[in-house]
Amino acid sequence: MSAVLHAHPESGPALGIADTGKTRRVLSEAGMRGRWWRFVLILAITVIVLVPIMVTVVLAFTPGVNSTATGLTFENLANVFNGTLAATWLQNSLVTTLSTVVVSVAVAAPAGYVLSRGRSKAVSGYSLLLFVMQSLPIITSVVPLFILFAGMGLVDNLLGITIIYVGSTMTVATWMMAAYFDSIPISLEEASWIDGCSVFGSFTKVVLRNSLPGILSTAIFAFLLAWNDYLVAIVFLRSNEIFTLPMGVQSFFQQNATDWTSVMALAVVMMLPPIIVFATLNKYFSVGGIGGSLAGR
Amino acid sequence: MSSTTATSGLSRARRGLAPGGSGASPGRKSKLSAQTTRTFFWLLLPSVVLLVLIHGYPLIHAAVQATHDGDLLQTGNFVGGENFASVLSSPAFWKAAQFTLWFTIVGVFGSWLVGLGLALLLRTKIPAGNTFKVLLLLPWVVPIVVSSTAWNWLVATPDSLIPSIFRGLGFGTPLFLADPTLASITVMVFKVWVSFPFMMMMISAALASVDTTVYEAASMDGASKWQQFTQITLPLIARSTYISWILMTIFCVNDFPTIYLLTGGGPVSATTSLVVLAYRTVFQDFATGPGVAIAFLMTMTLVVISVILYRQIRKSSVE
Repeated sequence: MSAVLHAHPESGPALGIADTGKTRRVLSEAGMRGRWWRFVLILAITVIVLVPIMVTVVLAFTPGVNSTATGLTFENLANVFNGTLAATWLQNSLVTTLSTVVVSVAVAAPAGYVLSRGRSKAVSGYSLLLFVMQSLPIITSVVPLFILFAGMGLVDNLLGITIIYVGSTMTVATWMMAAYFDSIPISLEEASWIDGCSVFGSFTKVVLRNSLPGILSTAIFAFLLAWNDYLVAIVFLRSNEIFTLPMGVQSFFQQNATDWTSVMALAVVMMLPPIIVFATLNKYFSVGGIGGSLAGR
Repeated sequence: MSSTTATSGLSRARRGLAPGGSGASPGRKSKLSAQTTRTFFWLLLPSVVLLVLIHGYPLIHAAVQATHDGDLLQTGNFVGGENFASVLSSPAFWKAAQFTLWFTIVGVFGSWLVGLGLALLLRTKIPAGNTFKVLLLLPWVVPIVVSSTAWNWLVATPDSLIPSIFRGLGFGTPLFLADPTLASITVMVFKVWVSFPFMMMMISAALASVDTTVYEAASMDGASKWQQFTQITLPLIARSTYISWILMTIFCVNDFPTIYLLTGGGPVSATTSLVVLAYRTVFQDFATGPGVAIAFLMTMTLVVISVILYRQIRKSSVE
């Protein structure tokens, strides 16, 4: 079943390095030397590329200017959580991001199913419409939404930005779900229809149940978008205690530009969740039969 | 992950409809047809409501704002194309447009070249190759707010790490964010740093689907490495390349945080892109009409660029 193929990490083309027995057999001594030479090269590149991230982590655990601690310390993290609203910002970010993820998937999955199975002109038109909307700059819609939301009390409000996040993840999330549903054979649903299942019933009981990898990769996408957003937050959030982490980090940075160790401690708090998500769900990060849809058609 | 999406979204759009994988048998379909249509309607409804609320309504409202002289509180009087005229005749707009153009060109092709190089390197057998692949995706995963802070620490002041290294090597003390030209270059390098993992993923995925025996056959026929690259590799990844160019163009033109968080658009608006200009015009100068007009002009440019690149995709997918 193709759904299984997607779930299988080794079949994710993005991370799979083609390694056939043939190439291994013909590896000469020169080939081995080439391998290690390339290893050193890629190691050097990776180290250079990751300098900004390493700097962030190291500074976060380095004793601050006024500190008496030596070696690595958790002092900065403690200072940030005691001295600022970091805990509130973290909570705000988690609440908006997780709500966005849940609602995005809940909206995109049924829509994606219709896009995948529907054949009418209206459905294909809607598919195109989603593509067009996706490429428009968000700044265009932010201004009218600001005015609309101001009238509804949704400015400086976590619900307000969550609605916008759901709206802006929805287009891509719908395609992601549709692309995944495409890989689930319709014969499964047909079998359940014969057993007397309704279309909706077969969607939830047969299709959704087999779509965990697709749902997870859509969820990761929505998570990253909502967690990393800055433009919507800077326009819609005003008060300190309503800030999400990007706003919190930025405002703290502007007020304490010389207190680098504390700034970096807060930055580490912010980058940890996406890295954890990425590290644990990394096999879904590149799924979706990219190879098939790219090269096959 | 996004590459998946992108690809399928575009291939959907390319085919002009929702695909629907394996076909249902027509007989059963018509039997279920009425019920199906009703169910499809309800399944699609939440998505349509959100699309209208978050994308449709604002777009129409923005069109109204762009042709009025109002502010964030009231619509104001109808002024027709006046906002567009004033925007198009202002030097700030053209300066921002020029910066956006360079930013996009460097962002798209810079990240593509780096991503292509790394994808080709990682395709060969390297110890711990997969670990490197995962580590190299980090710049794309880490929030821009965090990475821009780190880059600030590295380059912002004369005593920061990178300027100190330059000084130590006898190149003087470059002011990476204070000198207009250097600041533009720094922002572009930062953008490439953020974006290359996306390109690497797209190209790796395309390369993974290439049958390696093609290369063996080619080298038996005496094709050089370079010939193999230009005659085999490039054509095979052409489609995903065009798709990634389209997407990265959209990402670059629409990019706000990468620029705003690193330089704030300065020094003296040297790194002000159209989005940053639109943001400032609306939320700092409170000139809603001209600001939205800028956003509209961007939208139109994007559509034109997409259409041009989109044709390339169609051409490349004919084979």
